[in-house]
Amino acid sequence: MSEESTGFLYPMIDGDDAGDLDTLLEDLATSATSKSRTSAELTSTTLGALDQQLDLVAREMADRFARGGRLFTCGNGGSATDAEGVAALFAVPPGGGRPLAARSLVADVSILTALSNDIGFEVVFSRQLIAHAREPDIVMGFSTSGNSANLIAAFEHAAGAGLLTVGIAGYEGGAMAASDAVTHCLVVRSDSVHRIQEAQSALAHELWHRVQRHLPDPALA
Amino acid sequence: MNGDEITTAAERELGELTRDLATTSLAMARRFRAGATLWCVSPTWPHHARHVAVEFVHPVIVGKPALSALIGPAEEPIAGLRASMTRGDLVLAIGDGHDVVTADLMRRAHAWGVETIWIGAGPRPPAGAADHVLWLDDAPGTAAVDGRFILLYHLLWELTHVCLEHRGRLREPAPVCEGEVCITCSDDGQLAEVVSVRDGEAQVRTAEGPRIVDITLVDRAATNDLVLVHAGSAIARVSDEVPA
Repeated sequence: MSEESTGFLYPMIDGDDAGDLDTLLEDLATSATSKSRTSAELTSTTLGALDQQLDLVAREMADRFARGGRLFTCGNGGSATDAEGVAALFAVPPGGGRPLAARSLVADVSILTALSNDIGFEVVFSRQLIAHAREPDIVMGFSTSGNSANLIAAFEHAAGAGLLTVGIAGYEGGAMAASDAVTHCLVVRSDSVHRIQEAQSALAHELWHRVQRHLPDPALA
Repeated sequence: MNGDEITTAAERELGELTRDLATTSLAMARRFRAGATLWCVSPTWPHHARHVAVEFVHPVIVGKPALSALIGPAEEPIAGLRASMTRGDLVLAIGDGHDVVTADLMRRAHAWGVETIWIGAGPRPPAGAADHVLWLDDAPGTAAVDGRFILLYHLLWELTHVCLEHRGRLREPAPVCEGEVCITCSDDGQLAEVVSVRDGEAQVRTAEGPRIVDITLVDRAATNDLVLVHAGSAIARVSDEVPA
């Protein structure tokens, strides 16, 4: 949730209802074009800036997968759906990559509602990790603000249990960038929640691609 | 392909897409203002359907109104949506052009009076498969596609809200009748889905609402069959086959 007040998003479209429909449609298309370009530029800048960090994270993840590690992903709202998408990408890769053990911690509504109802929403991910996680597992959390309390709690438990912790954040990285419990924090530097999520998706796909490349040859294991 | 050609193709795709996004958003705003629910479905990528629903129900910009959006059931989506969707609703599906569940859903939605939006990538579905087709040329599953799907539905959300703030432009144009035959007012090959069958007649759902039609001209018609209706009679059953 952000407090973007943007005159609403489209300053070029005035509030005059008498204007004709074609003008409205043209203005909408122009605005969509400009936002699409911003999204593509942010993705490209982010991938460029994080190139070396991505490679390091991918190597460490590949090493953990090779040692039997599993990936747990988490996030809230739209980021929860991105976390689900990434777990599916690792576990059932399209076009024939190596399937890797990966599960989203938002998949089970019974567990999420049980923990929220009985204890509180801040523990929905950390309590699941207490049950499942062990070295050499990996936890990856998505948050546009970088401040989600339930992700920070999950990272803190995970770090204590010897997991590799990967945070995917936006803005300036928020609490995730500042936390010692987050081994690697990959930050999409933007202040638009939507543009951040679009670039985070590309970032996660690039990470998956590099993990696949760094996995040891199974025949040599 | 050299760099200039790649840029030109990308620019052409972007130009077409943004025009489609504009008209789709206007149509969505009109339906929402009339009380529609947006049904979100993705048999292949269910997380995308969930993402669309959360955008509309819980807006990222404080102060924007929550709009009614729900995800379709994961198991037997068509059966569940048939029971839940009402005339005037919207359905948005995300799936590639070979997604047979989406193709069938889009077609049946026409008979339910539901406006259809299909977001996808790779080879396109057949022309007319949905009212609004928002398509990326990249192959599905390639790295960039997922983020661009997210971009497309983010833009749909943003543009729909812009349209909702321009109330005067949301009035639907009245249907124009030209010549002696008007498709809207007559029933020239109207698509219908059979609800129940009894004594040579069937209760059917159509875009204009429920009606009773004669089914003696088709050899057999069962519940959930799609039929073409003309002048009060079912004249043909619509094939279940979906072109690949």
